[in-house]
Amino acid sequence: MSAYSVSRRGLLGAGAGIAAASLLGLRPAAAQQKDIRVFWWGSQERADRTNRAVDAYKKANAGIDAKTEFAGWSDYWPRLATRVAGRNAPDLLQMDYRYMFEYARRGAIVPLDQYLGNALKIEDFGKANLESCSVDGKLYGINLGVNSSCAVFDPAAWEAAGVAPLAFGNSWDEFVSKCAAFAKGNKRKKFYATMDASGHEPGFELWLVQNGRALYGEDGKLAFDEKDAGNWFKLWAELRKSGGCVPPDVQALDKSTLDTSTLTLGYAATAFPHSNQFVGLQQLNKAKLDITAFPVTAGGKPGQYLKPSQMWSIASDSKNPEIAVKLANFTVAEAAGAKILGVERGVPASSGMRELLGPDLDEVSKKVVDYIGKLGPYTAKLPPSPPKGAGEVAFVLERVSQEVAFGVSPEEGGKKFVTEAASILKRG
Amino acid sequence: MVSFTAGDAVARRPAKPGRLSRFFFAGNGAGYMFLAPWLIGFLGLTLGPALASLYLSFTDYDLLQSPRFVGMDNYVRMATGDAKFAAAMKVTFIYVILSVPLKLIFALALAMAFNRGIKGLPFYRAVFYLPSLLGGSVAIAVLWRQLFAADGLVNSVLSVFGIDGPSWISNPNYSLYTLVVLSVWQFGSPMIIFLAGLRQIPQDMYEAANMDGASKARQFFRITLPLLTPVIFFNFVIQTIDAFKAFTPSFIISAGTGGPINSTLFYTLYLYQEAFGFFRMGYASALAWVLVLIIAVFTAFSFLTARYWVHYDE
Repeated sequence: MSAYSVSRRGLLGAGAGIAAASLLGLRPAAAQQKDIRVFWWGSQERADRTNRAVDAYKKANAGIDAKTEFAGWSDYWPRLATRVAGRNAPDLLQMDYRYMFEYARRGAIVPLDQYLGNALKIEDFGKANLESCSVDGKLYGINLGVNSSCAVFDPAAWEAAGVAPLAFGNSWDEFVSKCAAFAKGNKRKKFYATMDASGHEPGFELWLVQNGRALYGEDGKLAFDEKDAGNWFKLWAELRKSGGCVPPDVQALDKSTLDTSTLTLGYAATAFPHSNQFVGLQQLNKAKLDITAFPVTAGGKPGQYLKPSQMWSIASDSKNPEIAVKLANFTVAEAAGAKILGVERGVPASSGMRELLGPDLDEVSKKVVDYIGKLGPYTAKLPPSPPKGAGEVAFVLERVSQEVAFGVSPEEGGKKFVTEAASILKRG
Repeated sequence: MVSFTAGDAVARRPAKPGRLSRFFFAGNGAGYMFLAPWLIGFLGLTLGPALASLYLSFTDYDLLQSPRFVGMDNYVRMATGDAKFAAAMKVTFIYVILSVPLKLIFALALAMAFNRGIKGLPFYRAVFYLPSLLGGSVAIAVLWRQLFAADGLVNSVLSVFGIDGPSWISNPNYSLYTLVVLSVWQFGSPMIIFLAGLRQIPQDMYEAANMDGASKARQFFRITLPLLTPVIFFNFVIQTIDAFKAFTPSFIISAGTGGPINSTLFYTLYLYQEAFGFFRMGYASALAWVLVLIIAVFTAFSFLTARYWVHYDE
């Protein structure tokens, strides 16, 4: 019995020790008032640049500590949402146009208007780049870079096939016949002119806009019908038939990441990423790549649009929003920070920073900036905010496009997609 | 800590506590003390969250807003209007029905080979166990692509015979079967258990059978299998539960999509998509409880039939 009570006391002591240690462990964190946490999604390349920028900021501002963390796109959102739910959100977080409305309207991120002109010196972003980061008239995001959809291709592969690659202003018909010609001239095995972009939401959206429709209307409902979707699937079915685009089982290897793009995997000579991804894509590809616009619809409207590729937002739980805003400002509006980030997140929204970066840009980054500069005639205005459930609709588009590619008729695919998408939007 | 204080009270003032706490704590203080790390973990990290998810399954919780009670809506939706739920069920059942028996047969065959006593057994045992450790790792996604993609190793081998194979891993007609192969490849843990079970079978039985002129096949069906049934039963139940809960293979190989065309949409992956892709925590909780129910029914069924085929040598 005495041995028991001794060990009991010992255990009690150990327990007390652990409790004390955890208290001690917590103390410095609570005492430190200038701690912020930064969280973003993206590649290793982006992480390296962002960490360097944060370190530079810490060096210039003694006493401020910023802990950084990043994740891939698909891991980022669950992690962010669980943290917000647990009242443990990072102070400075990377936001996407699609999610901004939801986070802002639920009060998970704060309006930034009060910082404009003092901690946040982004007047030279221009009206469009501020509006594209606003919800209900208030600024919720700090534009980290402007981008647009684009076509990226391997010029050498097109040349080897004896066909001129896609160029600014080419129509979809021209694109289709070029891809068919590529299939005839190409000698490489299991190699095709282009990826199969029929399940690619940005491509579908811009094609709709070119044809006078849209993906979503102002009312948050679908702004196209079965026939439109069927025609889109038909366009790609034709490419599949001529051997112009990759077969469905090859396209299904593409997991919407740069390293699984059919271009990177060596199956296709053309891909359709976002323009800022050109930097990352070039790094993964040995072949020298080039960038151009999506095909246009003959006699149609411009379909591309400039959007914030991503933005900084501040969590409403943040205890140091001011510091977070200042760090964000450093990365987008101060020479030292903006130079480190470069154009990896897109072309800077600030005209001042754009001019500053201009002369120092490497060849790859320069192509991106030039591309955005040339895009003017092909751009329409920003579409209305995507409704709740839009993310799931994008998944459905991919799935139905696969069903069509593996055998369902385009007409039936169009019907299926519209029915399912509408029911998702209804559920919200 | 709680159980400790209670046990302490019993030791000092045995008269005071009520009947219930006497039942739990009388003289068992030390035992509960030692159990405490597990108990605290079980109550705080397993039972608590599980009960919370039971509550959430009747709500429309979406992480950002507080949950709203919706009654049976989630369960009704599952039963009536969710095509993706049906697809996930189908995929999961095919996976369970194919992978569990194949894996057990494969594991047993290898265990029997090892049981013959070969040189360097510990080495081979370790080597064959290795896939079980690797199965859930991200490297497997890369490896499986190298094997089963359009220009993968499998097709290179097939092309030698003039066969132009499809991209197995990304073709909805075959993709699920590549995951079954992956599962069978991770036969390590049932194999080790089988091996232990085989060692338990008394050698004199085989000697006697040999003496009576029983063939090897007859020995297998008359001695090995019957005496191994408790181990087979154990492996079967554990592997079935595991197969129902399978998540990582599809998650890493299909990059969380369950594609192409939902062909690898495991039940748990669908649950994950609903919870963390579309933030429908309420619906995902309901899905989780239905899975618990399915596994419980299956396990209960296994135990009920066990008396007819599991042979315990008393």
